[in-house]
Amino acid sequence: MITTILLYVDPGSGSYLIQVIIAAILGALFYFKTIWWKIKSFFHRPKKDDISKNDEING
Amino acid sequence: MIFPRTTKSMGNYTRHPASFKDPSGFVFETNSKIYRQVNKVYKAEYDLLMSSGLYQELVQQQLLIPHVEIEENLTGTDEYYKTILPDQINFITYAYEWCFEELKDAALATLQTLRVSLDYGMIIKDATPYNIQFHKGKPIFIDTLSFEKYDPLQPWVAYRQFCQHFLFPLYLEYYLKADLQKTMTTYMEGVPVEIVSKMLPLKSNLSLGVWLHVYTQNTFRNSTKTKAEQIKFNKKKLLSLVSHLESIIKKFVVRKATIWGNYYEETILGNEYLANKEKLFGEFCKNLTITSALDIGANEGYFAKLLAARNVQVIATDTDSRTIGNLYQFVKKNGITNVLPLILDVTNPSPALGFNNKERLAFHQRIKTELVVALALLHHLVIGKNISLQIIAGYFAEISEYLLIEFVPREDQKVQQMLASRRDVFEDYTIDKFEYYFRPYFIVRKKETIQGTRRTLYLMERK
Repeated sequence: MITTILLYVDPGSGSYLIQVIIAAILGALFYFKTIWWKIKSFFHRPKKDDISKNDEING
Repeated sequence: MIFPRTTKSMGNYTRHPASFKDPSGFVFETNSKIYRQVNKVYKAEYDLLMSSGLYQELVQQQLLIPHVEIEENLTGTDEYYKTILPDQINFITYAYEWCFEELKDAALATLQTLRVSLDYGMIIKDATPYNIQFHKGKPIFIDTLSFEKYDPLQPWVAYRQFCQHFLFPLYLEYYLKADLQKTMTTYMEGVPVEIVSKMLPLKSNLSLGVWLHVYTQNTFRNSTKTKAEQIKFNKKKLLSLVSHLESIIKKFVVRKATIWGNYYEETILGNEYLANKEKLFGEFCKNLTITSALDIGANEGYFAKLLAARNVQVIATDTDSRTIGNLYQFVKKNGITNVLPLILDVTNPSPALGFNNKERLAFHQRIKTELVVALALLHHLVIGKNISLQIIAGYFAEISEYLLIEFVPREDQKVQQMLASRRDVFEDYTIDKFEYYFRPYFIVRKKETIQGTRRTLYLMERK
């Protein structure tokens, strides 16, 4: 059942808040991933293969 | 295709009955061609689309339908700014007729169109599968008036629409492993998040994508606390959202097994039957000058591909979505651009839907072909679905100029299999009665028994 309140809200604006939340979570996940990569690379010297793989991902 | 008339118009044109939501312009038909009028209100956006290089880029990437501008106000309306004549699309089809892979490709084409638009300072303001059509074997964006100037502070206005029309149906089919295309005939605006969140199984909770786009969205769906103007967004955030949607959709894979299995291989008739049928089929089609065909019960598309090789535009249909999925993957992989596989239950084809039942046309209103192919279908309709030969003859007469039809007699192994599990009330199911009922509508042009079987192939022409 669609809640009646939705009928009075612009169809787009309802989805704005969720996009902000999702973007924030994705941003945070990316931030932690980056930190994790940095920690990993600090302890583990990348081999030549890894460097080219990283280039592919970033490129 | 002639649209049903909805409004009285001044000029000699028919406005498309689904083209009423967007004030930017509308689609109309005149002189058997489909045009789009750009209204004055959309002038700035249209000019930006054309002058920014976005149009050229999208056309080059085969993401947007190409068009030419016509220097004439064909509708005579005051709102007129431009008339455009897009490349004409052979068959208009809808998402509820597409298989999983077709919907997936349409979703990715929509996201790629959005991505390219952002590069040129524009964005797409809607994301429905009705803006996508299969053209020359690829999903292509057909709504030239969907583009607007991008404001980096705003999120994507069509995000929810994209989820409801693309992401959610894909999730449902992926997790439930069931054919759910027909669901989309019920939900014209796409499947609502509150329904999807209740339907998805518990294990889907383990997916970040489902958690974010379904459950979190469901939690916040009624929130009106935050007004659009208070939200601060940026392009980086939007791109991360788009990338996330793309990565979810690209990872979707589906099962391959079909209800037909290996129909031709498993049947005792086997390869010899197929070879003989192909030979006859070739002979029957040899002198036919046709450009379009509808194959009903196409199975793996064996005969659809033969017609395609003769440069015929073929719609290949089957009730089984996995069969259609496999066929779509085959034609895509092999670059066969003139076979469009569609899910169709011939005993219940897509109805007319939407406002006044004219927004989305019924299957046979849209799909008109010169030839209809119905191989090994008749016994399924008569014995499987209790539709009499007389009614079937009338139906085929409505939809086909030429009819290539196979009669599978009662003694056939497949018919015997069907009769084994039910009471035989089909006294009329004989070749004589078949000819008797089809005679008022059709002239039999060719008739041959398929060698090594008791099956008969007919080529008929409507009277």
